[in-house]
Amino acid sequence: MNSLLLPLAIFVPLIAGTILLAGRCVPTALAKGLAAFAFLFPAVSGILLWYGFDASATADGFNYVTTLPVGIKDLGIALTLGLNGLSAPLFAMAGIVGVAAGIQALSTEVEQPNRYLGLLLFMLSGLLGLFASMDAAFFYFFHEFAFLPTFILMLRWGGHGRYATAVFMAVFLTLGAMISLAGIIYLYNTTGATSFNILKLKEAAATLDATSQSSIFGFLLFGLGTLVSLFPFHSWAPEGYAVAPTPVSMLHAGVLKKFGLFGLIQIGAFILPEGLKAWAPWMLWLGLGNIVLLGLVTMVQRDLKLLVSWSSVAHMGACFLGIAAFASGKVTGLGGVAVMMFAHGLSVALLFVLTQAVFKRTGTFVMADMGGLATKAPVLAALFVAATMASVGLPGFANFWGELTIFASLAHLVKSQPWVLVAALTGIIISAIYGLRAAAAVFFGPESETVKAAPARDIAFGERLAAGVLLVALVAVGFVPSLVTKPVDAALEKFKTAAPAAIVEPAVTAANAE
Amino acid sequence: MTPETAFQTLLGAPLAAAAISALFFRRSRWGAPVLSLAAAGTILWVSLQLLLGWDGHEALHTSYTWFKLGDLEFKLGFLLDKTAAPMLFTVSFVAFFIHVFSIGYMDDDSARGRFFAGLSIFMFSIVGIVLADNLFMTFVFWELVGFSSYMLIAHYFDKDYAAAASKKAFITNRVGDLGFLLGILWCWSHYGTVDFQVLENAKLAGSGVPAAIGLLLMCGFIGKSAQFPLHVWLTDAMAGPTPVSALIHAATMVAAGVYLMVKLSVCGLFAPVALDVMLWSGAGLAALGGLCALGQTDIKKSLAYSTLSHLGFMGAAVGLGRPEIALLHMSMHAFFKATLFLCSGSVIHACHHEQDMTRMGGLLKKMPVTAAAFAISGLSICAFPYFAGWYSKDMILTAALVNGNYGAFALLAIAALGTALYIGRMFRLVFLGNANSDEAGHAHESNAWMTIPLVVLGIVFSLGAGWFLSGTHAAEGARMNGLFPASATEFLAHGYHELHHTAAEKGLVLPMLALGVIILVVGLGATLSFYKKTPGDDALRVKSPKLYAALERRWFDNAYDWYIANVQQRVAEFYAFFVDKFLLEGLTIRAIFAGIPAVGGILVRRFLFTGRMSDYAAFFVFGVILYFLYSVVL
Amino acid sequence: MPVGILHHLVLAGVLFAIGLTGVLVRRNLIAVYMSLELMLTACTLGLVAFSKQNNAMDGNLFVFFIITVAAAEVAVGLALIVALFRKRGTVRSDELTSLKN
Repeated sequence: MNSLLLPLAIFVPLIAGTILLAGRCVPTALAKGLAAFAFLFPAVSGILLWYGFDASATADGFNYVTTLPVGIKDLGIALTLGLNGLSAPLFAMAGIVGVAAGIQALSTEVEQPNRYLGLLLFMLSGLLGLFASMDAAFFYFFHEFAFLPTFILMLRWGGHGRYATAVFMAVFLTLGAMISLAGIIYLYNTTGATSFNILKLKEAAATLDATSQSSIFGFLLFGLGTLVSLFPFHSWAPEGYAVAPTPVSMLHAGVLKKFGLFGLIQIGAFILPEGLKAWAPWMLWLGLGNIVLLGLVTMVQRDLKLLVSWSSVAHMGACFLGIAAFASGKVTGLGGVAVMMFAHGLSVALLFVLTQAVFKRTGTFVMADMGGLATKAPVLAALFVAATMASVGLPGFANFWGELTIFASLAHLVKSQPWVLVAALTGIIISAIYGLRAAAAVFFGPESETVKAAPARDIAFGERLAAGVLLVALVAVGFVPSLVTKPVDAALEKFKTAAPAAIVEPAVTAANAE
Repeated sequence: MTPETAFQTLLGAPLAAAAISALFFRRSRWGAPVLSLAAAGTILWVSLQLLLGWDGHEALHTSYTWFKLGDLEFKLGFLLDKTAAPMLFTVSFVAFFIHVFSIGYMDDDSARGRFFAGLSIFMFSIVGIVLADNLFMTFVFWELVGFSSYMLIAHYFDKDYAAAASKKAFITNRVGDLGFLLGILWCWSHYGTVDFQVLENAKLAGSGVPAAIGLLLMCGFIGKSAQFPLHVWLTDAMAGPTPVSALIHAATMVAAGVYLMVKLSVCGLFAPVALDVMLWSGAGLAALGGLCALGQTDIKKSLAYSTLSHLGFMGAAVGLGRPEIALLHMSMHAFFKATLFLCSGSVIHACHHEQDMTRMGGLLKKMPVTAAAFAISGLSICAFPYFAGWYSKDMILTAALVNGNYGAFALLAIAALGTALYIGRMFRLVFLGNANSDEAGHAHESNAWMTIPLVVLGIVFSLGAGWFLSGTHAAEGARMNGLFPASATEFLAHGYHELHHTAAEKGLVLPMLALGVIILVVGLGATLSFYKKTPGDDALRVKSPKLYAALERRWFDNAYDWYIANVQQRVAEFYAFFVDKFLLEGLTIRAIFAGIPAVGGILVRRFLFTGRMSDYAAFFVFGVILYFLYSVVL
Repeated sequence: MPVGILHHLVLAGVLFAIGLTGVLVRRNLIAVYMSLELMLTACTLGLVAFSKQNNAMDGNLFVFFIITVAAAEVAVGLALIVALFRKRGTVRSDELTSLKN
């Protein structure tokens, strides 16, 4: 039953999307009902699969493994679906963000709603597939499968300047994806593996020397890094998110972007630990670029949606630091990244929902024109402050655990490279500055002219539902982090054997501090 | 009740109250206040049960693993030990009465749900800090305290100054937290543990603790307890409702910093260098805050500077190696400072939210209970002998003298004089003379919700909270010692008596008493007569405008504002618009994007896409030849 | 000197080369077309030569097909050229550059 649920969760949106795209004459009510079901189904099954996940059930840590008769047999490409401890929570996260994006999409009026919803469902199906795919080739395929609808959705339903931005973004992302594909093929060729299944690749790569590991990892780092908007390959991201329609921004910034990080962990760190070790200093410095330099850029944004987009880019820096921390032989950082991916996906989607809600009321994204909205929309204000606090990393929200564990995994740097750690920690100040500035500029203070002219409406039911789903998930993991950390920790056990030789342990324990 | 259940209730009650208020009682008039008061009452009752049932020696400790990732095991642990006990009593006692007061004070507010939910979150966070058994957990609640203060300072969010003050408080605290977190991480990687009990048992003191760990951990204290140079947020935090100020200044936020320093000091995490830094910055801030309080006419701002000054005292006590005295002063300070703030709240409420002291006056007869509470807590803060404040404040001065830090002693004596000056001035301006505005003229005593806390905290505790120190020890088996649960007094009494004994050996007890009385008489006498002369204005502002302006001027705030506007913002804008947007995106990436088609396009158009059939045929032939060459040669 | 396979093939090669050169250098489409036919003929000659060499009929059979198809192809090709001339007024290939870019 459960092993059927996983492919079903991926194919239900796909089939529904096909019906909606093909059947232009499907009546709107029926189409919306079908779309609602298709958005909801992956979320429910994702949570069920996450809940039912048992890492100890199988030796390799993968549950619900199913191989479907799709692929190229001669090259060893087969559509094998399965979830391990890392992907199970992320799969559920994709489902939750999907359902929120679905609610958001269903509650907005667009031209040609059938096509719009159909393309969104295609995108969702690809997103779910990439987390569930155990096959590196299909992993890549699902990314492209999710990206194409993103591009079309931006071109057709995007905001101001959509053509230039969509093309700019597409060139970046295609290049990034191609470089990472090159890395995967390079890995396949060098190891002489007979299958793209990551477990098989791992076996085959066991004998790979450090030099070839590091050259393969280089491809993966810069290819996947571009997709995660790693500094300095980030230029596509903020404008791309800002221009895209809100559900697309939610899915793109929240879920699709995690493809790169997930790939760096599941393929990069798992198969090529020595390669990671060679590139760890680069990841550290480039990640700091995201945190500090792009944090500064976020600080001076004047447009709310751009600010949210930039902040999402800036927050990715911590994830690279967490992955780089694996070079010290500790898996804590990777776990922190997994928690961070989960949390960031939800929190950035939440911010996009609320930003759109603000726009609906004020008709502008320019923060200078807003102010005092909290009087008219107190619930919206409360939700926005909560979302800001989540992204700032306040305890009680999932993001905090991600940040804290990532920082803890870097603790050994305090002696060798204290300034790196200080720079990484400035992130908590910078994010507080821009987050609170935005909240204050939009909601606090006396009412501005724009707000006075705005209709006195608090957040609507659809927006409230979408925001509620995301916020509940954030708080649940914020209070019970073991929901995510338990499966993740089990998956990380497999990484321990792969870990590069550990550097200096904190040998001094309190008992022998003398 | 087992300790486990007690700990769970202590944290669960306020959290549940906050969650329920926020979700269901947003618009209700009584729901949130009642729930919040019930939570505070539960905290007080449970902590009294816990303290009265505890012998005061063997620490109560429970610990759960909250989650585990690799080698990081995050533990949620509760520890009731000698330092936590007095703190728990003070916090829960003072906070409960502040809750009672809030119900009276906020009766005309439309957003009571938000306010009381905020108070409950505040309680949740501070109880978490008090009971935390490791530094990571402290950090979790530490951040939550920052958030609660943000939320409560922003209570009047439609005012620009409240929005700005809340932001400032949170961000300034985060600056301190950066150092604090760095210190925690260092401590964790250096000692392999952040557990208070393990650290304490390891007897780190004297084993060459890296000074940097202590200094970094101190950053948390500097941020949260508003020490120099991060003291700027505290005076702005007055933008919140007055009970919030009372809570922040007395029982929760700034107290958390002092408490942490005491805990870490007991664990021996401070190298001598770190202690010296703390001593001098504390003593300096004490003197500075005491004098700056004279340069404010806003009653709450003046009190805020008083808090800065007294936090300086506590920092100095830790720096002098007397964490017990620091905790004692924190505890005594909680009672009288809470009262002073509640009195100011009572006055402000009676004068229809007038906060300018020069527009008050003559309230003694109109508000006798408030005046009495203010007088007693005022004498207490000025260290009138045998009042609560005398036990701790006098001892800090004594400790400086005993340790031979004459410089610090001088600074602290100036601070003590400052205290007498601003308390005398405040009392003179607010309660004596004639009413200087219509609002003050029509003021009348507040209702029972507000006066009962004033009586309990002001008249009873500001007077007698320290009396448990007058005897030597509690009678064997007694559950109470003075006004404190006996188990909560062990740590404080031990430190006090030890220092008292040393002072007595050196013959310092009587001279110190005499010095204290002289300072008190001079200070109060001078201000009471000086401020009589100019009704409706501040005497110092009239007599010496320059001196007053120097005291009023916010040197550091201005410096930080300048830094933010002219350095931080400009650097960020330069980077964002020039380096990132223009150089990186514009000149590099866009240029590459535009350049490849431009240059490549010319070549392609000129030589490949000629449109002539024969050229295409020639390319074809050329390709065939290449293929043959390839297959023949290779 | 008996005429063998070699002579046939050389002839076919020369014919093919002449045709190819014609295709590449001539600008008149009719001439290009004739050159193309010449190349086709060269190929058929090769097929006949191999057929004779191997004493098999399949090469010759193939040639018949080619001749038939070529006849049809000429009809179509010439019709296209005539249609092109009507439309554009020229059959010079360097003036017919609408494929450019």
